[in-house]
Amino acid sequence: MNGFWVVLIAALRGFLRDRVLHALLGFALLLLVLAPVFSLFSMRQVQELSTTVALSAISLTLLVLAVMLGGFSVWRDVERRYTASVLGLPIPRSSYLLGKFAAVAVVLMSTSIFLGFVSLVSVHIAASFYPPDRSLDLMNFMAAIAACSLKYILLSAFALLFSSLSTSFFLPVFGSLAVYLAGGATQEVVEYVTGPSAQSLSNSLITTVKGLYYLLPNFAAFDLSFQAIYGIPLSVEGLLLTFGYFLVYTSLLLLLACYCLARREFP
Amino acid sequence: MTSDSNCAVESSGLIEITGLSKTYRSKKLALVEALKNLDLLIGKGEVFGFLGPNGAGKSTTIKILTGQIRQTAGSAQLAGQTVSDYRCRRDLGYLPENPVFYDYLTATEYLAFVGRAFGMSDSVIRQRAGEVLGLLDLQHAAKRPMRGFSKGMVQRLGLAQTLIHDPQVFIFDEPMSGLDPVGRALVKQLIKDLKRQGKTVFFSTHITADVEEICDRVGVIVQGQLRAVDKVSDIVIGDTDNYRLHVRHGDGSVIEEIVSRNMLKQKVVNAWADQGALEKVVPVGRNLEDYFLDIVNNVNK
Repeated sequence: MNGFWVVLIAALRGFLRDRVLHALLGFALLLLVLAPVFSLFSMRQVQELSTTVALSAISLTLLVLAVMLGGFSVWRDVERRYTASVLGLPIPRSSYLLGKFAAVAVVLMSTSIFLGFVSLVSVHIAASFYPPDRSLDLMNFMAAIAACSLKYILLSAFALLFSSLSTSFFLPVFGSLAVYLAGGATQEVVEYVTGPSAQSLSNSLITTVKGLYYLLPNFAAFDLSFQAIYGIPLSVEGLLLTFGYFLVYTSLLLLLACYCLARREFP
Repeated sequence: MTSDSNCAVESSGLIEITGLSKTYRSKKLALVEALKNLDLLIGKGEVFGFLGPNGAGKSTTIKILTGQIRQTAGSAQLAGQTVSDYRCRRDLGYLPENPVFYDYLTATEYLAFVGRAFGMSDSVIRQRAGEVLGLLDLQHAAKRPMRGFSKGMVQRLGLAQTLIHDPQVFIFDEPMSGLDPVGRALVKQLIKDLKRQGKTVFFSTHITADVEEICDRVGVIVQGQLRAVDKVSDIVIGDTDNYRLHVRHGDGSVIEEIVSRNMLKQKVVNAWADQGALEKVVPVGRNLEDYFLDIVNNVNK
Protein backbone atom coordinates (compact mmCIF):
# COMPACT_ATOMS: atom_id res chain seq x y z
CA MET A 1 0.00 0.00 0.00
CA ASN A 2 1.49 3.34 -0.89
CA GLY A 3 1.89 6.34 1.38
CA PHE A 4 -1.23 8.08 0.11
CA TRP A 5 -3.57 5.25 1.16
CA VAL A 6 -1.74 4.69 4.43
CA VAL A 7 -2.16 8.33 5.43
CA LEU A 8 -5.74 8.45 4.13
CA ILE A 9 -6.81 5.45 6.24
CA ALA A 10 -5.05 6.70 9.38
CA ALA A 11 -6.53 10.19 8.98
CA LEU A 12 -10.03 8.80 8.44
CA ARG A 13 -9.68 6.73 11.61
CA GLY A 14 -8.72 9.91 13.46
CA PHE A 15 -11.68 11.85 12.10
CA LEU A 16 -14.13 9.04 12.90
CA ARG A 17 -12.91 8.97 16.51
CA ASP A 18 -12.91 12.72 16.98
CA ARG A 19 -15.53 13.65 19.59
CA VAL A 20 -15.70 17.24 18.40
CA LEU A 21 -16.84 15.96 15.01
CA HIS A 22 -19.44 13.74 16.64
CA ALA A 23 -20.79 16.77 18.51
CA LEU A 24 -20.83 18.84 15.32
CA LEU A 25 -22.73 16.18 13.41
CA GLY A 26 -25.14 15.87 16.33
CA PHE A 27 -25.79 19.60 16.16
CA ALA A 28 -26.36 19.45 12.40
CA LEU A 29 -28.81 16.57 12.84
CA LEU A 30 -30.68 18.53 15.48
CA LEU A 31 -31.00 21.48 13.08
CA LEU A 32 -32.33 19.21 10.35
CA VAL A 33 -34.76 17.49 12.67
CA LEU A 34 -36.02 20.89 13.76
CA ALA A 35 -36.25 22.18 10.15
CA PRO A 36 -39.94 21.14 9.78
CA VAL A 37 -40.72 23.00 13.00
CA PHE A 38 -38.95 26.19 11.80
CA SER A 39 -40.68 25.98 8.45
CA LEU A 40 -44.11 25.95 10.09
CA PHE A 41 -43.58 29.65 10.82
CA SER A 42 -44.28 30.20 7.12
CA MET A 43 -47.82 29.09 6.31
CA ARG A 44 -47.40 29.37 2.54
CA GLN A 45 -43.92 28.25 1.66
CA VAL A 46 -43.29 25.45 4.11
CA GLN A 47 -41.40 23.26 1.62
CA GLU A 48 -39.30 26.17 0.37
CA LEU A 49 -38.43 27.29 3.87
CA SER A 50 -37.60 23.78 5.08
CA THR A 51 -35.37 23.30 2.00
CA THR A 52 -33.64 26.60 2.75
CA VAL A 53 -33.08 25.64 6.41
CA ALA A 54 -31.82 22.18 5.43
CA LEU A 55 -29.38 23.51 2.82
CA SER A 56 -28.17 26.20 5.23
CA ALA A 57 -27.62 23.63 7.98
CA ILE A 58 -25.63 21.43 5.59
CA SER A 59 -23.64 24.42 4.37
CA LEU A 60 -22.82 25.58 7.91
CA THR A 61 -21.78 22.08 8.97
CA LEU A 62 -19.55 21.61 5.93
CA LEU A 63 -18.00 25.05 6.46
CA VAL A 64 -17.01 24.20 10.03
CA LEU A 65 -15.75 20.77 8.94
CA ALA A 66 -13.73 22.16 6.03
CA VAL A 67 -12.04 24.80 8.15
CA MET A 68 -11.50 22.51 11.12
CA LEU A 69 -10.34 19.38 9.32
CA GLY A 70 -8.49 21.16 6.52
CA GLY A 71 -6.88 23.71 8.79
CA PHE A 72 -6.05 21.49 11.71
CA SER A 73 -5.08 18.16 10.17
CA VAL A 74 -1.56 19.08 9.00
CA TRP A 75 -1.10 21.86 11.54
CA ARG A 76 -1.91 19.49 14.43
CA ASP A 77 0.52 16.88 13.11
CA VAL A 78 3.29 19.48 13.06
CA GLU A 79 2.30 21.01 16.39
CA ARG A 80 2.15 17.65 18.21
CA ARG A 81 5.27 16.42 16.37
CA TYR A 82 3.45 13.50 14.72
CA THR A 83 5.32 14.52 11.59
CA ALA A 84 8.64 13.44 13.15
CA SER A 85 7.45 9.83 13.20
CA VAL A 86 5.29 9.85 10.06
CA LEU A 87 7.74 11.64 7.76
CA GLY A 88 10.54 9.38 9.07
CA LEU A 89 8.73 6.59 7.22
CA PRO A 90 9.20 6.10 3.47
CA ILE A 91 6.22 8.31 2.68
CA PRO A 92 6.73 11.21 0.27
CA ARG A 93 5.48 14.49 1.66
CA SER A 94 3.17 14.95 -1.31
CA SER A 95 1.50 11.60 -0.55
CA TYR A 96 1.17 12.63 3.06
CA LEU A 97 -0.54 15.90 2.13
CA LEU A 98 -2.75 14.39 -0.57
CA GLY A 99 -3.73 11.57 1.80
CA LYS A 100 -4.79 14.15 4.37
CA PHE A 101 -6.73 16.09 1.74
CA ALA A 102 -8.45 12.97 0.47
CA ALA A 103 -9.49 12.07 4.02
CA VAL A 104 -10.99 15.54 4.51
CA ALA A 105 -12.76 15.29 1.14
CA VAL A 106 -14.16 11.84 2.01
CA VAL A 107 -15.51 13.16 5.32
CA LEU A 108 -17.05 16.21 3.62
CA MET A 109 -18.65 14.07 0.90
CA SER A 110 -19.93 11.44 3.33
CA THR A 111 -21.30 14.09 5.65
CA SER A 112 -23.12 15.85 2.82
CA ILE A 113 -24.60 12.57 1.58
CA PHE A 114 -25.75 11.61 5.08
CA LEU A 115 -27.11 15.06 5.92
CA GLY A 116 -28.63 15.33 2.44
CA PHE A 117 -30.59 12.13 3.06
CA VAL A 118 -31.78 13.36 6.47
CA SER A 119 -32.70 16.70 4.84
CA LEU A 120 -34.85 14.97 2.25
CA VAL A 121 -36.78 13.19 4.98
CA SER A 122 -37.06 16.44 6.91
CA VAL A 123 -38.33 18.42 3.89
CA HIS A 124 -40.89 15.71 3.09
CA ILE A 125 -42.17 15.76 6.64
CA ALA A 126 -42.44 19.55 6.54
CA ALA A 127 -44.18 19.46 3.16
CA SER A 128 -46.70 16.91 4.43
CA PHE A 129 -48.07 19.49 6.89
CA TYR A 130 -48.98 21.94 4.09
CA PRO A 131 -48.77 20.11 0.75
CA PRO A 132 -47.08 22.43 -1.81
CA ASP A 133 -48.30 23.14 -5.38
CA ARG A 134 -44.98 21.90 -6.74
CA SER A 135 -43.12 18.92 -5.31
CA LEU A 136 -39.42 19.13 -4.49
CA ASP A 137 -37.15 18.71 -7.51
CA LEU A 138 -34.99 15.86 -6.31
CA MET A 139 -32.33 16.29 -9.00
CA ASN A 140 -31.91 19.98 -8.22
CA PHE A 141 -31.77 19.28 -4.51
CA MET A 142 -29.04 16.64 -4.97
CA ALA A 143 -27.13 18.91 -7.37
CA ALA A 144 -27.24 21.73 -4.81
CA ILE A 145 -25.82 19.46 -2.11
CA ALA A 146 -23.14 18.08 -4.45
CA ALA A 147 -22.08 21.60 -5.48
CA CYS A 148 -22.03 22.63 -1.83
CA SER A 149 -19.68 19.70 -1.07
CA LEU A 150 -17.37 20.69 -3.91
CA LYS A 151 -17.28 24.27 -2.62
CA TYR A 152 -16.16 23.15 0.82
CA ILE A 153 -13.68 20.62 -0.54
CA LEU A 154 -12.13 23.52 -2.45
CA LEU A 155 -12.12 25.57 0.75
CA SER A 156 -10.43 22.71 2.62
CA ALA A 157 -7.70 22.74 -0.06
CA PHE A 158 -7.10 26.38 0.87
CA ALA A 159 -6.98 25.43 4.55
CA LEU A 160 -4.44 22.69 3.78
CA LEU A 161 -2.35 25.09 1.73
CA PHE A 162 -2.29 27.54 4.61
CA SER A 163 -1.43 24.84 7.15
CA SER A 164 1.40 23.60 4.95
CA LEU A 165 2.87 27.10 5.19
CA SER A 166 2.18 28.16 8.73
CA THR A 167 3.36 27.09 12.16
CA SER A 168 0.34 28.71 13.78
CA PHE A 169 -3.33 27.76 13.41
CA PHE A 170 -4.31 31.39 12.81
CA LEU A 171 -3.48 31.35 9.11
CA PRO A 172 -5.18 28.02 8.31
CA VAL A 173 -8.33 28.89 10.25
CA PHE A 174 -8.75 32.62 9.74
CA GLY A 175 -7.11 32.60 6.31
CA SER A 176 -9.58 30.03 5.00
CA LEU A 177 -12.50 31.87 6.64
CA ALA A 178 -11.34 35.06 4.91
CA VAL A 179 -11.12 33.19 1.59
CA TYR A 180 -14.62 31.85 2.22
CA LEU A 181 -16.04 35.33 2.80
CA ALA A 182 -14.16 36.88 -0.11
CA GLY A 183 -14.96 33.96 -2.44
CA GLY A 184 -18.67 34.36 -1.73
CA ALA A 185 -18.59 38.02 -2.73
CA THR A 186 -16.26 38.09 -5.76
CA GLN A 187 -18.98 37.52 -8.36
CA GLU A 188 -21.17 40.34 -7.07
CA VAL A 189 -18.25 42.74 -6.70
CA VAL A 190 -16.94 42.12 -10.20
CA GLU A 191 -20.44 42.49 -11.64
CA TYR A 192 -20.73 45.82 -9.83
CA VAL A 193 -17.38 47.26 -10.97
CA THR A 194 -17.97 46.22 -14.57
CA GLY A 195 -21.55 47.49 -14.57
CA PRO A 196 -22.85 50.93 -15.57
CA SER A 197 -23.22 52.13 -11.97
CA ALA A 198 -19.45 51.98 -11.37
CA GLN A 199 -18.31 54.31 -14.16
CA SER A 200 -16.85 56.76 -11.66
CA LEU A 201 -14.39 54.16 -10.35
CA SER A 202 -10.75 54.43 -11.40
CA ASN A 203 -9.34 52.01 -13.95
CA SER A 204 -6.68 50.81 -11.54
CA LEU A 205 -9.33 49.84 -8.98
CA ILE A 206 -11.32 47.99 -11.60
CA THR A 207 -8.19 46.17 -12.77
CA THR A 208 -7.33 45.23 -9.17
CA VAL A 209 -10.82 43.92 -8.54
CA LYS A 210 -10.71 41.91 -11.75
CA GLY A 211 -7.31 40.53 -10.78
CA LEU A 212 -8.63 39.47 -7.39
CA TYR A 213 -11.67 37.97 -9.08
CA TYR A 214 -9.44 35.63 -11.07
CA LEU A 215 -7.17 34.92 -8.10
CA LEU A 216 -9.81 34.25 -5.45
CA PRO A 217 -12.25 31.38 -5.81
CA ASN A 218 -15.72 32.15 -7.05
CA PHE A 219 -17.94 30.34 -4.58
CA ALA A 220 -21.10 31.85 -6.07
CA ALA A 221 -20.71 29.38 -8.93
CA PHE A 222 -21.31 26.54 -6.46
CA ASP A 223 -24.50 27.99 -5.03
CA LEU A 224 -27.48 26.15 -6.49
CA SER A 225 -29.81 26.88 -3.58
CA PHE A 226 -32.30 28.85 -5.68
CA GLN A 227 -32.51 26.08 -8.23
CA ALA A 228 -33.13 23.56 -5.45
CA ILE A 229 -35.66 25.68 -3.53
CA TYR A 230 -37.72 26.97 -6.48
CA GLY A 231 -37.13 24.16 -8.96
CA ILE A 232 -35.40 26.40 -11.52
CA PRO A 233 -33.94 24.25 -14.34
CA LEU A 234 -30.24 23.52 -14.13
CA SER A 235 -27.85 24.23 -16.95
CA VAL A 236 -25.76 21.14 -17.72
CA GLU A 237 -23.14 23.32 -19.37
CA GLY A 238 -22.96 25.49 -16.23
CA LEU A 239 -22.63 22.44 -14.01
CA LEU A 240 -19.82 21.01 -16.12
CA LEU A 241 -18.07 24.37 -16.13
CA THR A 242 -18.33 24.59 -12.34
CA PHE A 243 -16.99 21.07 -11.97
CA GLY A 244 -14.08 21.82 -14.30
CA TYR A 245 -13.38 25.03 -12.38
CA PHE A 246 -13.36 23.02 -9.13
CA LEU A 247 -10.94 20.44 -10.55
CA VAL A 248 -8.50 22.98 -11.94
CA TYR A 249 -8.57 25.32 -8.93
CA THR A 250 -8.27 22.49 -6.36
CA SER A 251 -5.44 20.84 -8.31
CA LEU A 252 -3.51 24.10 -8.45
CA LEU A 253 -3.97 24.66 -4.72
CA LEU A 254 -2.82 21.13 -3.92
CA LEU A 255 0.20 21.44 -6.20
CA LEU A 256 1.17 24.63 -4.40
CA ALA A 257 0.55 23.02 -1.00
CA CYS A 258 2.73 20.01 -1.94
CA TYR A 259 5.49 22.36 -3.10
CA CYS A 260 5.35 24.35 0.16
CA LEU A 261 5.30 21.25 2.34
CA ALA A 262 8.19 19.69 0.43
CA ARG A 263 10.30 22.75 1.17
CA ARG A 264 9.24 23.03 4.77
CA GLU A 265 11.61 22.04 7.58
CA PHE A 266 10.54 20.32 10.75
CA PRO A 267 13.11 21.30 13.37
CA MET B 1 39.48 13.77 15.85
CA THR B 2 40.88 10.27 15.57
CA SER B 3 40.47 10.03 11.86
CA ASP B 4 41.92 6.57 11.34
CA SER B 5 39.19 4.95 13.40
CA ASN B 6 36.67 6.59 11.10
CA CYS B 7 38.41 5.36 7.99
CA ALA B 8 39.00 1.93 9.44
CA VAL B 9 35.37 1.06 8.87
CA GLU B 10 34.68 -0.76 5.66
CA SER B 11 34.58 1.68 2.80
CA SER B 12 30.95 1.08 1.89
CA GLY B 13 29.31 2.55 4.96
CA LEU B 14 25.57 2.15 5.45
CA ILE B 15 25.49 5.68 6.79
CA GLU B 16 27.77 8.09 4.95
CA ILE B 17 27.97 11.72 5.94
CA THR B 18 30.32 14.08 4.10
CA GLY B 19 30.91 17.72 4.93
CA LEU B 20 27.46 18.08 6.41
CA SER B 21 26.59 21.56 7.64
CA LYS B 22 23.40 23.17 8.80
CA THR B 23 22.92 26.85 9.34
CA TYR B 24 19.67 28.52 10.25
CA ARG B 25 18.44 31.86 11.48
CA SER B 26 17.29 32.19 15.05
CA LYS B 27 14.15 34.09 16.02
CA LYS B 28 16.35 37.17 16.47
CA LEU B 29 17.63 36.58 12.91
CA ALA B 30 21.11 35.70 14.15
CA LEU B 31 22.91 33.06 12.10
CA VAL B 32 23.29 29.81 14.04
CA GLU B 33 25.65 27.09 12.85
CA ALA B 34 24.00 23.98 14.21
CA LEU B 35 26.32 21.62 12.36
CA LYS B 36 29.74 22.27 10.88
CA ASN B 37 31.36 20.10 8.26
CA LEU B 38 30.48 16.73 9.73
CA ASP B 39 32.16 13.65 8.22
CA LEU B 40 31.12 10.25 9.40
CA LEU B 41 31.09 6.74 8.00
CA ILE B 42 29.24 3.98 9.78
CA GLY B 43 29.65 0.47 8.51
CA LYS B 44 27.44 -2.57 8.39
CA GLY B 45 26.91 -4.31 11.71
CA GLU B 46 28.26 -1.44 13.72
CA VAL B 47 26.72 0.10 16.83
CA PHE B 48 27.67 3.75 16.89
CA GLY B 49 27.00 6.07 19.81
CA PHE B 50 26.65 9.76 19.02
CA LEU B 51 27.53 11.59 22.20
CA GLY B 52 27.16 15.26 22.89
CA PRO B 53 25.81 17.75 25.36
CA ASN B 54 22.37 19.29 24.85
CA GLY B 55 22.25 21.46 21.75
CA ALA B 56 25.46 19.98 20.32
CA GLY B 57 23.90 19.03 16.97
CA LYS B 58 22.98 15.37 17.54
CA SER B 59 19.29 15.75 16.74
CA THR B 60 20.07 18.10 13.84
CA THR B 61 22.22 15.38 12.30
CA ILE B 62 19.50 12.78 12.81
CA LYS B 63 16.81 15.06 11.39
CA ILE B 64 18.88 15.57 8.27
CA LEU B 65 19.42 11.81 7.99
CA THR B 66 15.68 11.19 8.26
CA GLY B 67 14.69 13.92 5.79
CA GLN B 68 12.99 16.27 8.24
CA ILE B 69 15.36 19.15 7.60
CA ARG B 70 17.72 19.92 4.74
CA GLN B 71 21.45 20.43 5.10
CA THR B 72 22.95 23.75 4.12
CA ALA B 73 26.02 22.03 2.69
CA GLY B 74 27.45 18.55 2.31
CA SER B 75 25.75 15.27 1.67
CA ALA B 76 24.35 12.31 3.56
CA GLN B 77 23.44 8.86 2.35
CA LEU B 78 21.64 5.91 3.85
CA ALA B 79 22.52 2.57 2.24
CA GLY B 80 23.85 4.39 -0.81
CA GLN B 81 20.82 6.61 -1.36
CA THR B 82 20.72 10.31 -0.69
CA VAL B 83 18.64 11.22 2.34
CA SER B 84 16.54 13.75 0.44
CA ASP B 85 14.95 10.81 -1.38
CA TYR B 86 12.20 9.25 0.77
CA ARG B 87 13.06 5.81 -0.67
CA CYS B 88 16.29 5.75 1.33
CA ARG B 89 14.13 5.18 4.41
CA ARG B 90 12.76 1.87 3.14
CA ASP B 91 15.46 -0.02 5.04
CA LEU B 92 15.53 2.26 8.05
CA GLY B 93 14.01 1.96 11.50
CA TYR B 94 13.82 5.42 13.04
CA LEU B 95 12.91 6.36 16.58
CA PRO B 96 12.51 10.14 17.08
CA GLU B 97 13.43 11.87 20.33
CA ASN B 98 10.51 11.79 22.81
CA PRO B 99 8.32 10.19 20.17
CA VAL B 100 4.63 10.91 19.79
CA PHE B 101 2.38 8.84 17.59
CA TYR B 102 -1.24 9.19 16.46
CA ASP B 103 -2.70 8.68 19.91
CA TYR B 104 -6.19 7.83 18.66
CA LEU B 105 -4.78 4.59 17.23
CA THR B 106 -4.14 1.44 19.23
CA ALA B 107 -0.63 -0.03 19.35
CA THR B 108 -1.64 -2.71 16.84
CA GLU B 109 -3.22 -0.17 14.49
CA TYR B 110 -0.13 2.00 14.62
CA LEU B 111 2.13 -0.93 13.82
CA ALA B 112 -0.18 -1.76 10.90
CA PHE B 113 0.12 1.87 9.74
CA VAL B 114 3.92 1.64 9.83
CA GLY B 115 3.99 -1.82 8.24
CA ARG B 116 1.79 -0.67 5.36
CA ALA B 117 4.01 2.35 4.83
CA PHE B 118 6.83 -0.14 4.29
CA GLY B 119 4.71 -2.11 1.84
CA MET B 120 4.19 -5.15 4.07
CA SER B 121 1.16 -7.39 3.60
CA ASP B 122 -1.50 -7.50 6.31
CA SER B 123 -0.75 -11.11 7.24
CA VAL B 124 2.97 -10.40 7.68
CA ILE B 125 2.14 -7.25 9.66
CA ARG B 126 -0.09 -9.25 12.03
CA GLN B 127 2.64 -11.80 12.61
CA ARG B 128 5.45 -9.26 13.05
CA ALA B 129 3.32 -6.98 15.26
CA GLY B 130 2.74 -9.83 17.69
CA GLU B 131 6.47 -10.59 17.74
CA VAL B 132 7.70 -7.05 18.29
CA LEU B 133 5.03 -6.24 20.87
CA GLY B 134 6.11 -9.36 22.74
CA LEU B 135 9.76 -8.37 22.47
CA LEU B 136 9.04 -4.94 23.93
CA ASP B 137 6.67 -6.34 26.56
CA LEU B 138 3.62 -4.55 25.20
CA GLN B 139 1.22 -7.40 24.38
CA HIS B 140 -1.08 -6.40 27.20
CA ALA B 141 -1.51 -2.94 25.63
CA ALA B 142 -1.86 -4.08 22.02
CA LYS B 143 -5.54 -3.13 21.70
CA ARG B 144 -5.46 0.02 23.80
CA PRO B 145 -5.47 3.52 22.28
CA MET B 146 -2.05 5.11 22.72
CA ARG B 147 -3.49 8.18 24.43
CA GLY B 148 -3.58 6.09 27.62
CA PHE B 149 0.06 5.01 27.36
CA SER B 150 2.76 6.07 29.81
CA LYS B 151 5.88 7.76 28.44
CA GLY B 152 7.85 4.55 28.77
CA MET B 153 5.21 2.57 26.90
CA VAL B 154 5.23 5.09 24.05
CA GLN B 155 9.02 4.83 23.92
CA ARG B 156 8.83 1.04 23.75
CA LEU B 157 6.17 1.21 21.05
CA GLY B 158 8.48 3.58 19.22
CA LEU B 159 11.16 0.90 19.29
CA ALA B 160 8.64 -1.75 18.24
CA GLN B 161 7.69 0.26 15.15
CA THR B 162 11.35 0.46 14.13
CA LEU B 163 11.60 -3.33 14.22
CA ILE B 164 8.43 -4.37 12.44
CA HIS B 165 9.88 -4.37 8.91
CA ASP B 166 13.25 -5.82 10.00
CA PRO B 167 15.44 -3.07 8.49
CA GLN B 168 19.22 -3.08 8.15
CA VAL B 169 19.78 0.37 9.60
CA PHE B 170 18.44 1.80 12.84
CA ILE B 171 18.59 5.41 13.92
CA PHE B 172 17.53 6.09 17.49
CA ASP B 173 17.38 9.60 18.90
CA GLU B 174 17.82 9.30 22.68
CA PRO B 175 16.32 5.79 22.89
CA MET B 176 16.67 5.55 26.68
CA SER B 177 14.83 8.79 27.33
CA GLY B 178 11.86 8.36 29.64
CA LEU B 179 12.55 4.73 30.39
CA ASP B 180 12.75 3.19 33.85
CA PRO B 181 15.74 0.91 34.70
CA VAL B 182 13.84 -2.15 33.45
CA GLY B 183 13.06 -0.40 30.18
CA ARG B 184 16.65 0.78 29.80
CA ALA B 185 17.95 -2.74 30.30
CA LEU B 186 15.43 -3.94 27.71
CA VAL B 187 16.62 -1.39 25.16
CA LYS B 188 20.28 -2.16 25.76
CA GLN B 189 19.57 -5.84 25.31
CA LEU B 190 17.64 -5.04 22.14
CA ILE B 191 20.55 -3.09 20.67
CA LYS B 192 22.96 -5.90 21.56
CA ASP B 193 20.62 -8.36 19.83
CA LEU B 194 20.50 -6.13 16.75
CA LYS B 195 24.28 -6.11 16.69
CA ARG B 196 24.34 -9.90 16.88
CA GLN B 197 22.03 -9.96 13.86
CA GLY B 198 24.49 -7.78 11.94
CA LYS B 199 22.32 -4.66 11.93
CA THR B 200 23.70 -1.15 11.95
CA VAL B 201 22.63 1.03 14.84
CA PHE B 202 23.28 4.76 15.11
CA PHE B 203 21.98 6.35 18.25
CA SER B 204 22.35 9.65 19.99
CA THR B 205 22.62 10.00 23.71
CA HIS B 206 24.28 11.97 26.43
CA ILE B 207 24.52 9.02 28.77
CA THR B 208 28.11 7.80 28.57
CA ALA B 209 27.49 4.57 30.50
CA ASP B 210 25.09 3.36 27.80
CA VAL B 211 27.63 4.01 25.08
CA GLU B 212 30.35 2.26 27.06
CA GLU B 213 28.18 -0.81 27.46
CA ILE B 214 26.76 -1.30 23.99
CA CYS B 215 28.68 0.65 21.36
CA ASP B 216 31.53 -0.34 19.09
CA ARG B 217 32.46 3.24 18.36
CA VAL B 218 31.60 6.61 19.70
CA GLY B 219 31.56 10.04 18.12
CA VAL B 220 31.61 13.14 20.27
CA ILE B 221 29.97 16.24 18.91
CA VAL B 222 30.24 19.59 20.67
CA GLN B 223 28.97 22.92 19.39
CA GLY B 224 28.06 21.43 16.03
CA GLN B 225 31.50 19.96 15.32
CA LEU B 226 32.57 16.35 15.53
CA ARG B 227 35.48 16.45 17.98
CA ALA B 228 36.40 12.78 18.21
CA VAL B 229 35.57 9.36 16.83
CA ASP B 230 37.06 6.38 18.61
CA LYS B 231 36.54 2.73 19.32
CA VAL B 232 35.00 2.36 22.76
CA SER B 233 37.43 -0.46 23.58
CA ASP B 234 40.37 1.84 22.81
CA ILE B 235 39.04 4.52 25.12
CA VAL B 236 38.18 2.29 28.02
CA ILE B 237 41.11 -0.12 27.97
CA GLY B 238 43.60 1.19 25.47
CA ASP B 239 44.92 3.94 27.67
CA THR B 240 45.36 1.76 30.73
CA ASP B 241 48.48 2.76 32.63
CA ASN B 242 47.32 1.87 36.09
CA TYR B 243 46.03 -1.21 37.86
CA ARG B 244 43.93 -1.54 40.99
CA LEU B 245 45.20 -4.30 43.34
CA HIS B 246 42.95 -5.88 45.98
CA VAL B 247 45.11 -7.62 48.60
CA ARG B 248 43.59 -9.52 51.55
CA HIS B 249 45.85 -9.63 54.55
CA GLY B 250 46.03 -12.18 57.36
CA ASP B 251 43.75 -10.19 59.65
CA GLY B 252 41.03 -10.28 56.98
CA SER B 253 41.37 -6.65 55.94
CA VAL B 254 41.39 -5.85 52.22
CA ILE B 255 43.78 -3.20 51.01
CA GLU B 256 43.16 -1.50 47.69
CA GLU B 257 46.07 0.08 45.94
CA ILE B 258 46.55 1.65 42.54
CA VAL B 259 49.89 0.96 40.97
CA SER B 260 51.44 1.94 37.69
CA ARG B 261 52.21 -0.51 34.89
CA ASN B 262 55.93 -0.35 35.78
CA MET B 263 55.35 -1.14 39.41
CA LEU B 264 52.78 -3.87 38.87
CA LYS B 265 55.15 -6.84 38.77
CA GLN B 266 57.04 -5.72 41.88
CA LYS B 267 53.82 -5.15 43.83
CA VAL B 268 52.42 -8.54 42.91
CA VAL B 269 55.64 -10.25 43.98
CA ASN B 270 55.67 -8.31 47.25
CA ALA B 271 52.05 -9.09 48.00
CA TRP B 272 52.75 -12.75 47.40
CA ALA B 273 55.86 -12.70 49.57
CA ASP B 274 54.00 -11.01 52.43
CA GLN B 275 51.56 -13.92 52.36
CA GLY B 276 48.72 -11.62 51.47
CA ALA B 277 46.14 -13.08 49.13
CA LEU B 278 46.03 -11.19 45.91
CA GLU B 279 42.30 -11.15 45.18
CA LYS B 280 41.99 -8.95 42.13
CA VAL B 281 44.08 -7.04 39.61
CA VAL B 282 41.83 -4.66 37.67
CA PRO B 283 43.11 -2.50 34.84
CA VAL B 284 42.07 1.09 35.51
CA GLY B 285 41.02 2.24 32.08
CA ARG B 286 39.92 5.68 31.20
CA ASN B 287 36.28 6.14 31.92
CA LEU B 288 34.17 7.18 28.90
CA GLU B 289 32.66 9.94 30.97
CA ASP B 290 36.13 11.37 31.67
CA TYR B 291 36.97 11.07 27.98
CA PHE B 292 33.78 12.90 27.05
CA LEU B 293 34.21 15.60 29.70
CA ASP B 294 37.82 16.17 28.66
CA ILE B 295 36.68 16.87 25.11
CA VAL B 296 33.83 19.12 26.18
CA ASN B 297 36.03 21.04 28.61
CA ASN B 298 38.75 21.49 25.99
CA VAL B 299 36.23 22.95 23.58
CA ASN B 300 34.83 25.27 26.21
CA LYS B 301 38.27 26.56 27.24
